[in-house]
Amino acid sequence: MSAAAAPGAHDGAVLRAEGLGKRFAGGWVLEGVDLALHPGEIVGLVGQGGHGKSVLLKCLAGLLAPDAGRVVAFGEDLATLSSVRLAKVREAYGYVFQNYALFDFMTVADNVAFPLRQRGDADERAVKALVRERLAEVGLAAAVGLYPRELSGGMKKRVGLVRATVTDPDVILYDDPSAGLDPVTSSKIFELIARMQERRAGSAAIVVSHDIDRMRAICARYVMLERGRVVFEGGEEDVAGAPRAVSDFFDLDGAGVLA
Amino acid sequence: MIRALDATFGAVGRGYLALARTVGGIVVLFGRILRAMVPPRFDRDETWRNLYDVGVKSFPIVVVTALFVGAIMVIQSAFYVKRTGATGLLGYGVGFSVFAEIGPILIGLMFSGRVGANTTAQLGTMVVTEQVDALRTLAIDPIRYLVVPRFVTMLLMMTLLMVLGDAFAVLGAAGTADAMLGVDWRVLVQGLLEAHFLDEFFMGVVKASCFGVSISVISCFYGLNVRGGAVGVGRAVNASVVANAAAIFVLDFVIGTLYTVM
Amino acid sequence: MVNDVHVAPPAPPRWYESLFIAVGAPFTAVGRELRGDVALAFAALGAIFRGAAGRRAVVQQAYAVGNRSLFFITATLGFLGLISVYQVATQIQQILPDFSMLGAAFIQLMIREFAPTITGLMIATRVGSGIAAEIGSMVVTEQVDALRMCNADPVEYLVAPRVLGSVVMVPMLSIYAVLVATLAGMALGHAVFDIPTQTFLSLRLVKGPDIVLGLVKAVSYGFWIPIVAAHAGLSATGGSAGVGWATTRAVVATSFAVVLLDFVISGASYVIFSV
Repeated sequence: MSAAAAPGAHDGAVLRAEGLGKRFAGGWVLEGVDLALHPGEIVGLVGQGGHGKSVLLKCLAGLLAPDAGRVVAFGEDLATLSSVRLAKVREAYGYVFQNYALFDFMTVADNVAFPLRQRGDADERAVKALVRERLAEVGLAAAVGLYPRELSGGMKKRVGLVRATVTDPDVILYDDPSAGLDPVTSSKIFELIARMQERRAGSAAIVVSHDIDRMRAICARYVMLERGRVVFEGGEEDVAGAPRAVSDFFDLDGAGVLA
Repeated sequence: MIRALDATFGAVGRGYLALARTVGGIVVLFGRILRAMVPPRFDRDETWRNLYDVGVKSFPIVVVTALFVGAIMVIQSAFYVKRTGATGLLGYGVGFSVFAEIGPILIGLMFSGRVGANTTAQLGTMVVTEQVDALRTLAIDPIRYLVVPRFVTMLLMMTLLMVLGDAFAVLGAAGTADAMLGVDWRVLVQGLLEAHFLDEFFMGVVKASCFGVSISVISCFYGLNVRGGAVGVGRAVNASVVANAAAIFVLDFVIGTLYTVM
Repeated sequence: MVNDVHVAPPAPPRWYESLFIAVGAPFTAVGRELRGDVALAFAALGAIFRGAAGRRAVVQQAYAVGNRSLFFITATLGFLGLISVYQVATQIQQILPDFSMLGAAFIQLMIREFAPTITGLMIATRVGSGIAAEIGSMVVTEQVDALRMCNADPVEYLVAPRVLGSVVMVPMLSIYAVLVATLAGMALGHAVFDIPTQTFLSLRLVKGPDIVLGLVKAVSYGFWIPIVAAHAGLSATGGSAGVGWATTRAVVATSFAVVLLDFVISGASYVIFSV
């Protein structure tokens, strides 16, 4: 389903931020951020709250326009695209929002079917079958006809996850998928993320989270933001040589693993 | 058929009960405000801050609204006066409609939109972020600390703004008559003065004071009863402005008839 | 949270500069607001003419604007009818007790001015704040972002149906408002001043231009109220305070839009067409 975004000339990265900067009224929230996402990898984006992680994700998805630098997705600069091209490129994205962002005027099934229907060429019967299948996979077969307000936080998160991945996108952005969930549910969510990634070989993801322990299971590489700048980039084996603030973050309660 | 009837009457009944509960809650809050004011011991800083806030916030919108109301009323009067040719009646039409009726209603609606809605949003946000609970744990009565200053402020400000609004409405009417309708502004002002609208003017100011009371009590009521996060605050503001508008029209009628009877 | 920005602190403004700032700030704010409203209006018109607004969504919004406002309009316009007749009749009584023209003038004035404008103000209050609260909540809960990620244009999806629904319903409500106010006024005139209902219910002053003027007003209110309110909602930022603030802004901006449109339309029609 990634017909949208296939032009070849992009040195292997599906998504790339170059010198990205974003300014709000109070000053720069992101400054000089370089980041590349390659097919098949899951990058963990970490850092303290309010240091620009969500803003970075929104810039990468073209929801916010950067004030400096650029975002290149599938070889194309997002800022230069016409709305039609941008729509094509966005079809290759999946986005899991921090606050679920389920449409509260639609049922669960309609929420999940929405990205499929928006493509226009969908056969309604196939859509319904796919929606039911994907919801059943995450244990929500019974919730098909419910409205978001009738769901618990963990259920909403799962619906959001299914909605973001139902089109089998090339790039999935997860904005704090386990925020506010209890440990058991959080583990389930991360298992689901891993499963979504296995389904489509070559799809890439960025996961924003504070949950280092659970991220270890799925992320090979990490990027850490502090005050809007990248202060660390690499695998967990590189943490030892990094500044104190970085190793502290990774060391939080997993000392054994690192040693 | 019976099911449909049942559903209709059920809905009507539920609506009526909800209305009764809201009106009851508002009246109770009004009583508690009055009770809290009996030894007049309200927070002077909070009151002063509110007075400044409300005055600064609503002054421009009230002035501009009043100018336009005057202008609109003079255009409407001109439509009738034109046929008789008695331009002296222009001032009469403007004065009567603006002082007694349209001025208080429109300035009341604007004040409710600007200050009332803002109060509901402010108090609602304080409730949602548990600041009101925090006050209670400090043994500070939210009615005395938050509501009474707002009550005093809105009563005072609405009265003052009405006097000011009448003046600006006359200004707007005179300007429009002169510039758009080709009637000398002095003719309009003279017609207005000769009509002796002191009674109407005072009735308008009394109406405005009552609107000040109702707007403060209603918007504080909806603000303090917010449930359910950001969405709840938005809904409360919506409900608050609707209730305020309804109250303005009902009060307008009640005061209008009482005033003429007495 | 953010890096320090090293800039020389600006010199404090002189007194005349701060005067200019104080006088000019509201104008630039209104200008920015107007520009945003007009841009959104064009986007919404584009979406409507592309036929992008779903029929079901339009019907839903028309129901929300129209049917759900019936009680509110009945109450407010009913009381307006009562008090207007009461005050004007009291005034007439003191001068010359001749009520023969009262009803005819009342009905004419309701049609050309008060029914559409007061209905517009009531819809601005009820529906304008509702739209801003709804869309503002969708913005802060990232639902608008989610729409855009699914390639659904928020203007097509959220604004266009509301505009269509309201353009249809505000004129309907205005017609209803004329009826309610007239009946209320007639009842009061009959009960308090002994005005025969046949005398009151006179259409002899109502001419075509009055009806056209009233409808033009109603349609323009119906178009601009959802635009201004949606613009306020879409500009909401940050949590519950943001939604509350957007809703407040919408009430003032939509009410003021109604007053402004009333002035422009009444003035233009008087000066140009003498209506």
